[in-house]
Order: sequence, then structure tokens, then C-alpha cells
Amino acid sequence: MMTGADVMVKCLEKKDIHTVFGYPGVAICPFFDSLYRSDIDVVLVRAEQNGGHMASGYARVTRKPAVAVATSGPGATNLITAIATAYADSIPLIAITGQVETSLLGRDVFQEADITGACEPFVKYSYLVRDPADIPRIFEEAFYIASTGRRGPVLIDVPVDIQNKASEYVPAERVSLRGYKPTVKGNDLQINKVIETLTKAKRPLICTGGGTILANAEDEMKQFIDRHNIPAVSTMMGIGALPSDDPHYMGMLGTNGKPYANYAVAECDVLMLVGARVADRAVVKPYKLERRNTTIIHIDVDPAEIGKNLGTTIPLVGDIKVVMQKLLERDFESDYSEWTGTLEQKKADYVPNHHFNPDFVDPCLFVKTLSSMMEDDAVYVADVGQNQLWSADNYVMKHGRFLTTGGFGTMSYSIPAAMGARAAFPDKQVIAVCGDGSFQMAMMELSTMQHYGLHIKFVIMHNGYLGLVREYQHHNYDDRYSGTNLGEWPDFAKLADAYGIGYFHLTSNSGMEDTIREFLAAEGSGMMVCEVYPYDLVKE
Amino acid sequence: MKGIFSVTVENRYGVLSKIAGLFARRGFNINSLAVGETDDRNISSMTIVSSGDERIMEQIEKQLNKKIDVIKVRRFTEGKCVMRELLMIKIAYTNATRADIMQICSITGAHVADLAPKTMVIELTAKTTKVDRFIKLMQPFGIIEMARTGAVAIQRDLND
Repeated sequence: MMTGADVMVKCLEKKDIHTVFGYPGVAICPFFDSLYRSDIDVVLVRAEQNGGHMASGYARVTRKPAVAVATSGPGATNLITAIATAYADSIPLIAITGQVETSLLGRDVFQEADITGACEPFVKYSYLVRDPADIPRIFEEAFYIASTGRRGPVLIDVPVDIQNKASEYVPAERVSLRGYKPTVKGNDLQINKVIETLTKAKRPLICTGGGTILANAEDEMKQFIDRHNIPAVSTMMGIGALPSDDPHYMGMLGTNGKPYANYAVAECDVLMLVGARVADRAVVKPYKLERRNTTIIHIDVDPAEIGKNLGTTIPLVGDIKVVMQKLLERDFESDYSEWTGTLEQKKADYVPNHHFNPDFVDPCLFVKTLSSMMEDDAVYVADVGQNQLWSADNYVMKHGRFLTTGGFGTMSYSIPAAMGARAAFPDKQVIAVCGDGSFQMAMMELSTMQHYGLHIKFVIMHNGYLGLVREYQHHNYDDRYSGTNLGEWPDFAKLADAYGIGYFHLTSNSGMEDTIREFLAAEGSGMMVCEVYPYDLVKE
Repeated sequence: MKGIFSVTVENRYGVLSKIAGLFARRGFNINSLAVGETDDRNISSMTIVSSGDERIMEQIEKQLNKKIDVIKVRRFTEGKCVMRELLMIKIAYTNATRADIMQICSITGAHVADLAPKTMVIELTAKTTKVDRFIKLMQPFGIIEMARTGAVAIQRDLND
């Protein structure tokens, strides 16, 4: 006889789920018991939030939904940050939480939390399962919702009695939700308008966001810009959509972007946003573009993003891959060589004005060197803080992946997300780069890393400060470093030793390549501590 | 600018709080909100009246559409729909004032729903502006308590 929990496992198997990341508790025990009797691997994390980030990393590299599990109450609330991160970054995450018995719901019993209520602002959809017979339909819908339209997290909250109840597995039929019909194709009239506009344009620019990567449309994007000789910039989430050596690629735009990328945004006459949501760090002053009468083409799968932060001339709703394929089918005359020439010159003339202390490691040079030396298809995960901005600015994209939480900016994301990527692709080189602040938020996962053999290489940019906040305090609070000094601890070498992780130490630029080579070549997990000048600035 | 949204939603628990939460979270105004079942018990109909500029109205429509429990969103301007709300108001009366009150009721189309020795309950179904005016007219008599539903609306078809 099957139980509700067995049916849940069957549903995951049907969706080809091989690994779940989670943390058990009484309210989710029946499900863990069913997992025990299945072929699905359970990765026991050390904190639920990290389990959510691991699933996020796993989902991003496999481009399919991944699963995080937690128990009721505190387990579920610990997962919220990871769910909110997945929501802001549009990652297909399935969060499964245990819940107290149905008859006790709403009575504030031990470990009860209204998790569907609490998560409402950060989920694409959520379910509180009331009947085990609904489980196949709910799981089918949840995977469908998470992985179509604008990707995002779906929460399934399952009371413990529902998991225990006798049930049978009747595979769900095709999903049909009358309130959810994402537009995929892209309206042909709007596509005509896009082509017309690009034909007339003198200085067009494409801005690619994370949407291009989420829709697996990197190839189409590259073909389009190469064929028509259109320059492109990217948002932080869009890094990796185009290889760094593509001459049309002008780098990341925005507050922390390349000056020539921002020049291109300011000077273009047509700005085509593709899977980018015009967030405040990318386009700080959208009204400036509106005032300049720049023609805005906005292509996105989520209609609500179009016109939210920036007035749009030509809205085009659809899946980026499908829309780019349609655009590729169309031929049009275009000659933007004068414009691309200007931009390429700007790019070539650019001299970074970054200063660094020669007694320490230059973080920009380090990121450049590291990412150049990584394998072509390596996964690079950047955390949050100065390390993220140095990474975004200097990462050399070949054919790998660049993962970071550009949307939510969750510190501690990199190590668990990298472990998730590694769980998906055990043969791939996976590197996380974080600061000493973010590292200490995630370091409990070193034991998970070693226990499950999720071997990653991680770099800690060590400066004893919460560097980006310190930098902000330098610029805005007369160098009063309130609550940003991390002090001397821990002793990283001993910490690495405690977990049986290889330790590498770089104190200045000298010997950088050799140390990186050893670090990348080492067996198992590796920790590399880079001594970064505490008063280095991302923006001088 | 006023926007009237007629929203059909799945009749499930938590949907009202999702919709109300969306408005609160994104800082959209709710001038009034009315909910009820439709002829199909699985579907509820909400009428939400909000105010703001065109960009906000467009965002409200899009954000509502993004909710999976929302089946359909229609946005009306005031001229394009028939809109009514129900007012129940309890008024104190004396022999001296009763006739005046009754006269106002008959002019405005309000009805006496309940009559007690010193008070009466009056009901009025009308456009929001008319309800507002009626309340003003009742003020001198002494309003003891009142309740109003908020507007419900349905699309007006053209005559031709």
C-alpha cells in the first residue's frame, strides 16, 4: 500500500529528479522515509537556506527545476531566503515543506508556521495539500509553473497526515490551468515592428539579461548580433549570455558596469532589452532614456516587466528563444558599422583606473587570471559584495556559466550554489568566489561538501571587512565603519584542515598563476584565500 | 484617475488575501473591494476600485494577470460599466423628522429596511457618488451606524 509520501516520491521520479537537498524534521519524516526507499539521493545540508541555494545552483546548470526540502515551522521559515532569492533571480525551484497535521492547522501548535502565507510575495505559486489524491496533479502543475513562462519557485506544503495517508499513484494528466497561459510565441505584428525599427536604426544596442540564459537562447542571441553586427551589453544576470571575446559584446552596464557599456546605453537610438527587467542597478535613471527619446524595444516572457520601470515603445511578450528564432528568420538590411566602430574604439581605449595596493592581491587581475585559466565549460559562482562586482567586471566568459544572485543579492549564495552545480555535474570544474563575510555565512556547508564529495574550489577574498558596506561607509559616512569589521578570525588554514580541504594562500600578485594552477589541479575540494587590501574600492 | 477592475478568480482559500496582499505590497490603492461567488461555484468575481496614474493602472492589470488564481482581469472606465454599491444606514428619528427622512428616501430611491421606535435602517443601492450624497443628506438627522459594500461593476454593452 502506498502513502501520500510514496506518491510524492513517484512524482519526483517521473520528473527525473535524482537529488534533493534538504533537512528533515518530524513533519516531513514520512517523505524522508519514502526517499530512503527510493533511488533519489538526499543531500543533508547543514542549514535549510543553503539547501535552497544548492537546488538553485543545480537548477541553473541543468536548466530544469530542482528540489529543496524542509520540515514545518522553523525549517520552512529558514528556507524563505532561498525561495525569495530564487524568485528575484527567476530560478525554477520546487520547495517542499512538511506541515503539522491538517486537524491542527491554525492552532499555533509546535513547529507550525503558515508558510504558504509567509512565502506568498516570493513564490510563483504555492500549494497546501489537503488530500493525497491531489498530489500527482499538484506536483505536475508545480513543475510546469516553475519551468515555464518566467521561471520561479513553487512551494508545496504537505501536512504530515497527508504524507501518511494511504493513497495510490495515478499519474496526472496534462496540466491545464485556466489562470496560467504564458505567452511563448511572440506576436508577429510586434516582430514586424522590431524589424522595421532595427532597419531604420542608426545606433541600435541590445541589452541581454538573465532571461536569455533562462530561455537557453544564448546561441540565438550570438547569431543575431553577429549576423546584424549589433553591439550588446548585459545586465549582471545576463553575464555569460555572450562570450567575452565577442567583439560586439560591450560588457555589463549599470552602476558597477563598464563605462563604455554605459556610453553605449546613453548614445544608442534603439535599445532592445531582451529578458532584462531594467532594475535600478542596471538602469539607474530610466527617465533619462525616456527624455532622450530612445526607442525602447522590450522583449520579455513576463508582460508585467514591460513598462514597469521604463516606458516602452515596442513591447514584445514571448519566450526569448522562440522570439530570437523568429527574428533570425527575418532578413533585413542594416549597416551599423560607424556605430560599432565608435564603440569598439571606446572599448579599446578604455584604461581601467582601478588602483590597488601592491602589497596585496589585485582582485581584478585575480578574477581575470582565474577565469582565463579555468576549463572552457567551468561554472563560476560569484557571491555578493565587492567580490561579486570584481567578478562581474573581470570574469572572462568562454563556454561556461557565470552564476550569481544579481536579483536578490543574498550573501552566502556562492558556496552552496556551487555545490548544487557540482551535484548536477560531478565532472565539471566548479569554482565559487566569495568574501570572508559571505564565506562565514555558509561555512557550515564545508562538512556537507566533504561528506557527499561535492568537491568545489572556492576562493575567499579576505580583507577582514564587509568590503562593499565598508566602501559605502567610506563614501557616505565619513569612514565610520559601523559594524563592518570582521576582525582576525577564523584561521582559514586550520579551518580547511579541520574539514580535510586543500588550502592555498595568495598574499600578493607574485606567483598568482602558479598558485591558481595548483589550486585548480588539486584533488578534491580546495580553499584559496586571497589577501585583499581592506581599503580597496570597487568605485573610486 | 480611477480604475475599475473586474477580476474573476478561482474560488479557493487564500485568494482574497493574495489579491489584497498584492495591492498592499506594491503600494497600489484599494478604494473599494467587493467579492462574491458567480454562477459557477468554482469561480468568484471581485470588483476592485483603485486610483493612480496610467502606469499604475497598467501595472495593476498586469500584476493581477500574473497571479495564477486569477482567471481574467477586465479594466473599465466609469462610463463603460454599470456600477453600484449597497449602503445600509441606521438613522435616529423623531416624529418631527420622520417625514423629512421618508421624503429624501423616496426622492433618492432608498428604502426603509427596518423600522424601530426610535431608529430606522435605510438601504440604498446606487452609484458611489450618489451614495456619498445620500450619506451627507442623512447626517443632520444623526447617523448611528452604517455599512457599505464597495462598488460592484459589470461591463455595459453598446446599444448599437
